[in-house]
Amino acid sequence: MLSFSEQLPIVFNSLNVGFLQTLKLFLVTLAGSIPLGLIISFGSMSRFKPISAFSKTLVWVVRGTPLMIQLLIVYYFPGLVLHNPIWGGDESGRFFAAAVAFILNYACYFSEIYRGGIQGVPLGQQEAGQVLGLSKTQIFFKITLLQMIKRIVPPMSNEIITLVKDTSLARIIALQEIIWAGQSFMKGSQGISGQIWPLFFTGVYYLVFSGILTVLFNKVEKKLDYFKT
Amino acid sequence: MKMKKIIAVLMAVLMIAACFAGCGKTSNNDNATVTDMQYVKDKGVLVVGITDFKPMDYQDADGNWIGFDADLAKEFAKYIGVDIKFVEIDWDNKVMELDGKTIDCVWNGMTLRDEVKNSMACSVPYCTNAQVIVVPADKAEQYKTPEACKDLQFAVEAGSAGKDEAEANGFKYTEVKDQATALQEVASGTCDAAIIDLLMAGAMIGEGTGYKNLTYTVSLNSESYGVGFRKGSDLVEQFNTFFAEKVANGDVQKIAETYGVQEALVK
Repeated sequence: MLSFSEQLPIVFNSLNVGFLQTLKLFLVTLAGSIPLGLIISFGSMSRFKPISAFSKTLVWVVRGTPLMIQLLIVYYFPGLVLHNPIWGGDESGRFFAAAVAFILNYACYFSEIYRGGIQGVPLGQQEAGQVLGLSKTQIFFKITLLQMIKRIVPPMSNEIITLVKDTSLARIIALQEIIWAGQSFMKGSQGISGQIWPLFFTGVYYLVFSGILTVLFNKVEKKLDYFKT
Repeated sequence: MKMKKIIAVLMAVLMIAACFAGCGKTSNNDNATVTDMQYVKDKGVLVVGITDFKPMDYQDADGNWIGFDADLAKEFAKYIGVDIKFVEIDWDNKVMELDGKTIDCVWNGMTLRDEVKNSMACSVPYCTNAQVIVVPADKAEQYKTPEACKDLQFAVEAGSAGKDEAEANGFKYTEVKDQATALQEVASGTCDAAIIDLLMAGAMIGEGTGYKNLTYTVSLNSESYGVGFRKGSDLVEQFNTFFAEKVANGDVQKIAETYGVQEALVK
């Protein structure tokens, strides 16, 4: 049995490796779902019926089912039903599957936030653009988009902070993120067994990280203050 | 209006592309005539699903997987002429992992229960094990028989052999995530006792472990460990011949002595 001071470096090392995986999943999810969400929100607002119906159904299915089930389906469905395990069994395959499930899930939530933001910009703004002789594209990028960004920062920061903690769900497909790393010391790993404190200690990582994000979002909000709405 | 139309067309193309990407890949080599053995040989690697479970599968200081099961698995991979890869899995999802071909076998001190035998192709038993009742050491004297334990609140791993024992003996029990959590419940006093594997109890509780105030008293029904392959796999026969050979030449005994599990070997 190792003493506490001997345990510390081992546990820290292991939690850091786990947190890196958490962070990677977080960043990849954001990078994928922020643009994909915009596409889905355009789809939902489209006047072309099949597209808006498809987008709305997608959003309904994804928001209406637990992320945990989506992870299991994305990871196991190709092998179980299509008999072609595209992801493979190793850590990188599990990461890709998790990233796909997270991107799709968060894109759907983001798309609804975008839709609210776009539709919340007063019609008068677009009319003003038309009067000034701007094209539809110019109106969207120069008038609507910027005002939409200001409106969506608070709900987006909410979702993004939720995402930080939702990444822990990925351990259902054995992605070794920080909670997995913390739990491994309960059962026994690297000569340490029966320790609960590493699991609880993972909370500190989440807390610090979401603290940093909160500060960042406040800065962004301040930056966007020049829009009077 | 133009913008919207362009987006609409783009989206339609994207969706169709996504559909094709999804289905396109399914057609290749899903051939029922290829045996599991051949499939693994073609891949050139045997993917073994494990959890961190001392002394069967655990990591040494350099992060290599060792243990009684791990070492034997390496020998088996050599025997069939492929490389080996260990993958940590969520134990609850082991059948899905096998059927989905993300792993090729589970080799992790798995108790051969009906549920396991029905959903996998299982090897001959290679180890024997028992389920034991774990109680705080200072109360051990009072709980020497299953009857004495009737009033205790038990913690058992969900879907485990320990849970079956609790049910068979009519104990009151709470299902928890794994055996480590069950021990945690006893250590923190939220449950009075736990039922876990003897091998695990030997390695995890008592003097010199994280749970020095716990001990095990009653030993319930004994059971055996086996290796699980995909249902219908011909790797089972390969394993059984391999294991018989290695028992005959003493290799199994040697590996078992390295990890202190020789008492549990099937004679």
